[in-house]
Amino acid sequence: MHPAGLAAAAGTPRLRKWPSKRRIPVSQPGMADPHQLFDDTSSAQSRGYGAQRAPGGLGYPSASASPQAAFLADPVSNMAMAYGSSLAAQGKELVDKNIDRFIPVTKLKYYFAVDTMYVGKKLGLLFFPYLHQDWEVQYQQDTPVAPRFDVNAPDLYIPAMAFITYVLVAGLALGTQDRFSPDLLGLQASSALAWLTLEVLAILLSLYLVTVNTDLTTIDLVAFLGYKYVGMIGGVLMGLLFGKIGYYLVLGWCCASIFVFIRTLRLKILAEAAAEGVPVRGARNQLRMYLTMAVAAAQPLLMYWLTFHLVR
Amino acid sequence: QQVDEQPQPASFVPSEMLMPPDYAGQFFQPASNSDYYAQSSYIGSFDEEPPLLEELGINFDHIWQKTLTVLNPMKPADGSIMNETDLTGPVLFCVALGATLLLAGKAQFGYVYGLSALGCLGVYALLNLMSSSGVSCGCVASVLGYCLLPMVILSSCAIFFSLQGTFGTASALVIVGWCSLSASKIFMSALDMEGQQLLIAYPCALLYGLFALLTVF
Repeated sequence: MHPAGLAAAAGTPRLRKWPSKRRIPVSQPGMADPHQLFDDTSSAQSRGYGAQRAPGGLGYPSASASPQAAFLADPVSNMAMAYGSSLAAQGKELVDKNIDRFIPVTKLKYYFAVDTMYVGKKLGLLFFPYLHQDWEVQYQQDTPVAPRFDVNAPDLYIPAMAFITYVLVAGLALGTQDRFSPDLLGLQASSALAWLTLEVLAILLSLYLVTVNTDLTTIDLVAFLGYKYVGMIGGVLMGLLFGKIGYYLVLGWCCASIFVFIRTLRLKILAEAAAEGVPVRGARNQLRMYLTMAVAAAQPLLMYWLTFHLVR
Repeated sequence: QQVDEQPQPASFVPSEMLMPPDYAGQFFQPASNSDYYAQSSYIGSFDEEPPLLEELGINFDHIWQKTLTVLNPMKPADGSIMNETDLTGPVLFCVALGATLLLAGKAQFGYVYGLSALGCLGVYALLNLMSSSGVSCGCVASVLGYCLLPMVILSSCAIFFSLQGTFGTASALVIVGWCSLSASKIFMSALDMEGQQLLIAYPCALLYGLFALLTVF
């Protein structure tokens, strides 16, 4: 096999050993390739190299080249390579499909459709909700409007960023007190996440026990419960700057704001009539009222519990 | 003469390991597989091999250009430079950060790698959820890694004097701002998202802030 190959090499004109390892020549670097978002522009250089190298050789020993050249040249391994790469593409599709089963990506995208103005207004609302009148989320043909367009809609950007900022600020607080080590960051993050999960599960369980039929999804609940991290961050920062007095002041302020802010949650849990302030009799509505109040009362407690050890 | 060889199934897998300098076909992301084997009937010679660095996709000129882009956050970025998902520079900067931390007395390589991996995943998820066009994880890793360079400068300062003072805090804040400004600038030009630069800059600032925590404390 090999001698035949070498004899053929002597007879045929020299071709590049790896002619198409680069992609299809694109006319300019950075041009959008339909198969992937970002072009590999280093291939622009390689075409120049290829043109220069083809006529002249460099005298490398060609003995080591033949097994590989031979292996790539034959149709069976061509097919095997093609099969292998199509398998990889199939695998990627499978992963994408299954990710969609566990993590509802399109639903999550709704919660991240925010812009800077919305974030600014929402943060203002979190610190000073007393002047806001209308707490209802606007609907558009039975689906709630994206957060970008309505400041009352829940989003996941602020809670997620607030959570990570909380971990960062906790690290900062520990560092200024000389108690920092990198694994403590992980510890803080995990414990805060565990408390959040516990809270969500407890509320879901009580909603189930009270047999309330609401359109409150789990992600909505996570969003509402995540808003308290903003207040916690404010409290810890003030505690770092002004000591315990500052910490208690800001924490008290943020707790009061969260009470008011939970009104949006109340609107979702209670029946429509009860939410508008008209007292509706019935054990069911009373249960719902108690549930909302319990959720609202748990927020300041958790806010204190997760931050008091950071401020000395 | 026919140049079709007998099939050599035994050499399919081991040849990758036998000839690493020659066979670097994994480094390029194939867009269409049919092009690879269009000219299968040939016997090439070793002389037309591309040079090693080019086969590996390491292009020092591009790396230098991208480094200069990061070092100057005020200059508007050219979106096409970041089109290559080149991970050589980022890995180099991560190792440099770990090395400077080691020189300052903290052997925290594992935390650096873990934080950068988690941070890449987080920013990748966030950018895919926030933007209409998606990004690939390699691009995110590449951008975040290049913008880590000012952090290496900060940690090399930490070798000579402790950063736990007013000056240290101020310089850490400046460096974090510099890193996140560069990263968000490049993401904006690559992803074409207007009106959300602050929203992109904040998560990057959080990630670099965590690195700064490692460096300062």
